[in-house]
Amino acid sequence: MSDMKEKIRSFIVENFLFGDAGELKEDTSFLNDGIIDSTGILELVDYIEENFGIKVEDDELVPENLDSIKNLEAYITRKTQSAA
Amino acid sequence: MNYNYKPKELTLCTHCILPETFPGISFDEQGVCKYCRQEEKKIIHLDEKKEEYRKKLDSLIDGTRNKAPVYDVILAYSGGKDSSYTLKLLREKYDLRILAITLDNHFVSPAAFKNIKNVTDHLGVDTYSVRPPWPVISEMFTLTAKADVFSKTTLLRASSVCTACIGIVKNLILKTALEMSVPLVAFGWSPGQAPIQSAIMKTNPGMAQQAQEALLNSFPESIRKKIIPYYVPKTYFEIYRERFPQNIHPLAFFDYDEKNIIKELGQIGWMEPKDTDTNSSNCLMNAFANHCHIERHGFHPYVWEIANMVRQGVMEREEGIHKIYSDQNIQMINFAKERLGI
Ligand SMILES: [Zn+2]
Repeated sequence: MSDMKEKIRSFIVENFLFGDAGELKEDTSFLNDGIIDSTGILELVDYIEENFGIKVEDDELVPENLDSIKNLEAYITRKTQSAA
Repeated sequence: MNYNYKPKELTLCTHCILPETFPGISFDEQGVCKYCRQEEKKIIHLDEKKEEYRKKLDSLIDGTRNKAPVYDVILAYSGGKDSSYTLKLLREKYDLRILAITLDNHFVSPAAFKNIKNVTDHLGVDTYSVRPPWPVISEMFTLTAKADVFSKTTLLRASSVCTACIGIVKNLILKTALEMSVPLVAFGWSPGQAPIQSAIMKTNPGMAQQAQEALLNSFPESIRKKIIPYYVPKTYFEIYRERFPQNIHPLAFFDYDEKNIIKELGQIGWMEPKDTDTNSSNCLMNAFANHCHIERHGFHPYVWEIANMVRQGVMEREEGIHKIYSDQNIQMINFAKERLGI
């Protein structure tokens, strides 16, 4: 697993699953599987902005970008590459 | 009644008020919880951030006012002090055309209804309430009083009963805004209730739809069928795609001082109800909802919100401890239980 994925995963396990990673896979949907709710998604966005140096715009707050570890990694990678 | 839930019997964070029973918590040598440590850096910049959001709201409103057909904003109006104060702000400071909608969940206190009338009359605001029939509310509250149907993270911030009720409120407001083409929806969330980055935010249709479905799917089929009419119909996510409103909750970034809020509201006819509990100035179900949550989880469903406010310095720690660690009013618990036949 990439560094980025590992960091995202630890944040989620620590803050939303209380240390119990259970069934959390790369493509587990946070919302559908009840891991994070809509308020939690915003905390996740805050974490990503702080730790990966990107700004998540309003129109990027979509499940395709944010709703799984895999989607997040792809999204952050796209953002950091376009900024570089 | 003994909850084993007194500050003297529990270890509390020495900085905020989170208890040792809060999920995932740990304390350092100074007795400060990990959530306080995580927030430290953000709190330093909070004032700048609030200032930035006040400017953002000014320009959002400048670009929105008087453009929509009838209303500029729909407010989710419980009649409590926070939403009343939000209403006052939107009317007096921003001069908006407001529709205030109340969900009458059959437990709105008579004092809250009186406040709703006084405040909306005084401010010159249209208001109506939506009252789902008793069998709908009673089945939903009975289920959520007895069991938790939502995700663990949701339950960190609110009881199951409140989450079920707020789910209807949020979606009813969004649905109405879409139907009436209203560009803003407002809530009276306190500065501790939701992260500041959500305080001004455009609702994304895809995200809203997925969140709504996840919430609805938490309920058993029989209840889901009953509450679906208050949620946003699936077709709206497509046909009203371009109409999705901006969400605002201004109390997250305006000066928040409870005593001052109550004083200012007094000048527009709002009176503090005597028949509710330490955390709600409008809902007669709240004490029982808190009671059920504490019994099941060992922590108060408002502790996250109040801890945030203590951390941000908008509430004194002693005041927070009083709000969270006082016994729930037993008469109010019994009142709700009897009404629900539990
Ligand atoms: Zn703390």
